[in-house]
Amino acid sequence: MTATSSSPKLNRARIAQGVAGLIVGGGLGYLIGRVIKQGRIDVSDLTWSDNVAVLIAVMLFVAGTVLVAATFSKRLAARVIDPASDRPARPAQIVFYRQQAVVLALSGVMMAAPVVARVLSQPLSGQLAAAVMAAIVGLFLLQTLLNLSVWTRADEMIRQMVGEAGAVCFWVLQGALFLWAAAEKLELVPALTAWDMMTILMGFYLVISSVISVRRGLA
Amino acid sequence: MKNRLKVLRAERDWSQADLADRLEVSRQTINALETGKYDPSLPLAFKIARLFEQPIESIFDDGQA
Repeated sequence: MTATSSSPKLNRARIAQGVAGLIVGGGLGYLIGRVIKQGRIDVSDLTWSDNVAVLIAVMLFVAGTVLVAATFSKRLAARVIDPASDRPARPAQIVFYRQQAVVLALSGVMMAAPVVARVLSQPLSGQLAAAVMAAIVGLFLLQTLLNLSVWTRADEMIRQMVGEAGAVCFWVLQGALFLWAAAEKLELVPALTAWDMMTILMGFYLVISSVISVRRGLA
Repeated sequence: MKNRLKVLRAERDWSQADLADRLEVSRQTINALETGKYDPSLPLAFKIARLFEQPIESIFDDGQA
């Protein structure tokens, strides 16, 4: 018998995930707050998009790392991949989800890297900036390869969901971008940087893909 | 679109995971199909029809018949 989405087993798994997230998030927030309070790093000139980008980056990195760790146990991997699962994950499933997890973690690292480099090295030297950028490009290429591999092995519903999320993001954000650009040209709103726009895009994509996942019964 | 996937699966005493393995999709896809949250592609609909040895229209109902 397969558990449904309202089974106590599933609810317990979700509560456990929520509690684990609170502990990890709370602990991380406390540590960062302490470091800032002690004056070890200066975050005074971070913009709203830097803060949001780092928040998203931490979420992606933690989610990716937890998922990678879980894939080293077949039973745990099965529960993380599918809380209703009553059998261990198969090797192909483990490889597939491990790749997805690495993609998530790499996204987090790449998003945080420019902000972290600026915070840790003030003023930022040209050499360090070039080194960080080279690392980001390398990680981006690796992530693209992993993304393609995940796409080719995903089933049709996952592909459709990715396509839907991409389409919604494009149509909504291209409209919003046009309206903002017009208002900016008319000097009615402040200018946005490329970093601001990237942060909005990533945040919006995560929200939309989560909504689509919920609608398909995946979350 | 409504379908009889859950009934057909239950008649064979298959779990969602068993059916997912036979159709080479994820269990979540089977769950989404059974709960009407996802309509399959034509190739997957044919695959389902072949697996249950029934015509597509006896498994899926678009409400137009």
